[in-house]
Amino acid sequence: MSSLLPTDTALTFEGLAAPLRVGRCLGGGSQGQVFAVELEGEPLALKWYLPAFLARDPGLRTRLEESIRRGAPNEDFLWPLALLHPDDASRARLGAAGRGFGYLMPLRPPACVGAAEHAAGRIAISLRNVLRAAFFLAAGFHDLHSLGFCYKDVSLGNLFLDPASGGIRIGDNDNVDVIGSTGGAVLGTWGFMAPEVALGQARPDVASDLFSLAALQFQLLTRHDPFRGALELAIPCLDLPGRRRLYAEDPVFVFDPRDARNRPDPHEHVAALITWPLYPRSLQRLFEETFGPGLRDPSRRTLTGQWKQALAAVLDHLRLCPHCGEENLELDPAPGGARCWRCRRPLPPAPQLVLANGRVTIAEGNRIEAHHLDPLRAEDLRRPVAEVVAHPSRPGLFGLRHLGGPAWRVERADGRRFDVLPGESCSLGRAALVHTGAGPLRIGDHLLRP
Amino acid sequence: MPFPDVRLASRPLHFFYICDCSGSMQAEGRMPSLNQAIRQSLPGMAEVARQNPEARVLVRAVSFADRAGWHIATPTPVEQVRWTDLQAGGVTAMGEALELVAAELRSPPMEARALPPVLVLISDGQPTDDFDAGLHALMREPWARRAVRLAIAIGHDADTDVLQQFIGEDPGLPAGEVPGASGQMPRHPVGRSPRRPLPASNATTLARYLQWASTAVVGAASTSASRLGGGDDGGGPVPLPDLPPTELDPLEDPDPIKW
Repeated sequence: MSSLLPTDTALTFEGLAAPLRVGRCLGGGSQGQVFAVELEGEPLALKWYLPAFLARDPGLRTRLEESIRRGAPNEDFLWPLALLHPDDASRARLGAAGRGFGYLMPLRPPACVGAAEHAAGRIAISLRNVLRAAFFLAAGFHDLHSLGFCYKDVSLGNLFLDPASGGIRIGDNDNVDVIGSTGGAVLGTWGFMAPEVALGQARPDVASDLFSLAALQFQLLTRHDPFRGALELAIPCLDLPGRRRLYAEDPVFVFDPRDARNRPDPHEHVAALITWPLYPRSLQRLFEETFGPGLRDPSRRTLTGQWKQALAAVLDHLRLCPHCGEENLELDPAPGGARCWRCRRPLPPAPQLVLANGRVTIAEGNRIEAHHLDPLRAEDLRRPVAEVVAHPSRPGLFGLRHLGGPAWRVERADGRRFDVLPGESCSLGRAALVHTGAGPLRIGDHLLRP
Repeated sequence: MPFPDVRLASRPLHFFYICDCSGSMQAEGRMPSLNQAIRQSLPGMAEVARQNPEARVLVRAVSFADRAGWHIATPTPVEQVRWTDLQAGGVTAMGEALELVAAELRSPPMEARALPPVLVLISDGQPTDDFDAGLHALMREPWARRAVRLAIAIGHDADTDVLQQFIGEDPGLPAGEVPGASGQMPRHPVGRSPRRPLPASNATTLARYLQWASTAVVGAASTSASRLGGGDDGGGPVPLPDLPPTELDPLEDPDPIKW
């Protein structure tokens, strides 16, 4: 691939006080190329457009200017920071590419890999971190839509995740547009496009974003496509007419409770059959709604806030199988009690902390977030208050680790008091009241024993 | 405690290079240029395949001169392909090459389910055997009719008529119509369309077209590509992506080696 910009060189741009050091080309496609750059010592990324693409998307500059003016919805977006136009000196050096423009954005952290790596099963990631990534994805779209923007081209290719933390980055923000605007060149990506957009009946907007978001959530959580079941197997060549039939003309969700025509095949679609039962009905219903009535009625699609709420609640009830160590979610009561999805042995009932807002299963790694202590706070996983930890030497004894902020004041049942500093842990036994920075946390009588 | 060891279901995507190795390919370094262009295009194809877990990209290559034969006979995962140089010499058995490909697109050996195959025919001359019979054999196969068929015409002596027959009619362009004559903004610069033979008059253009076929087209056939409004959705098995810039575009660097 020939490079649009000279690499390993410093270029000057209008409005930039210092020259921009252009490093290697990170990738490219039919729109342009992305370069690693450095501005006054700060590593950033620069996307530079092909002039031919700019001609096809005349609204691009206005969209980018508006995105830059309003700022990033949250820190998970690789959001445009500044438009760059070459100054006269650079224009002379760039030739034809100098007639175009580009934009600066944050560089993707090296720990974040393309979500395709997850879908392809090429990374090791825990169920917890997949759920966290799904939460951050919902939160990102929540914040984006709240700011008055829609994304338009949600797909596996635009999402990056850090397998070690479940953190995400959302890239390719140059199709982002003000809600209600009818401009823009992109319609979406097959497999993620809402049916009304794929059929040409609507332009991408918030409602189609909600559909695409659900499709991406499904791929994250199941490593499967929501519409690839028996009906897919009936299509020998998955070409354009085949995709149109599968995703737009007659889409049937593989787990549609009312229409069993498109169930996953036990040989071809194993991923769906293994992963779907891991999730509780509260989460499954959100997919059934979006991919059922929501196919034709956009008002029935799961909202970003509903995703956040449901995913945060699911994370509250993760626990490890005592026999095989596998991560299990608290599912709906089953006859004969819960069983581990992997070793099929019974899971003993787990005690739960009853909090001002919700319950958290007492199991290693589960966290108490600020929203658990204050019903008025929205779900947020970025500022955890405490984490459930096991005592290093006494099996079966659990405690809470202070994850940051001011010292906790702990009151024991016998009236004695002590402080817990960030990084320290205190046991959950004995009735106690923990004054955290985010609100009071009662243990003791608020422990729900199975 | 990892996530279950499962992966997105995938379909094979068969990619065929169909390469002219006739004696005229010895002229002006065409053969080394083609070898080099294909070799250089493979990492990009492997990267696109990596980003598209829904597709298992499998590569094969046919060469044709006095006879046609398999250069890479086994469908090989793109990341495992090691390109060995083709040698030029002989005439242009293009029809036989198409028959070889036709036999592979029959079911079986074709799988019951796949993504649209991608066939890239590269030639600098005119067929010397029964091209019509070869094309007829190819187009009898449903998988060939549903394939993305691209052709690259090297130099000025390539028979663009037979290459166009291989591609099929350009659905966006009624017979005899000059692109852009309808008064509408042409999607591609005049004379260029992915559904017409792509003229490679120099090594740089050849490399760009092969890179484009190996990356953008493979991406489109395996569905990762974003759909653009007003784009090339009609007619073909997959919406074809924009062509890369060439010397017809202002971005082209002047290349001293003209054919």
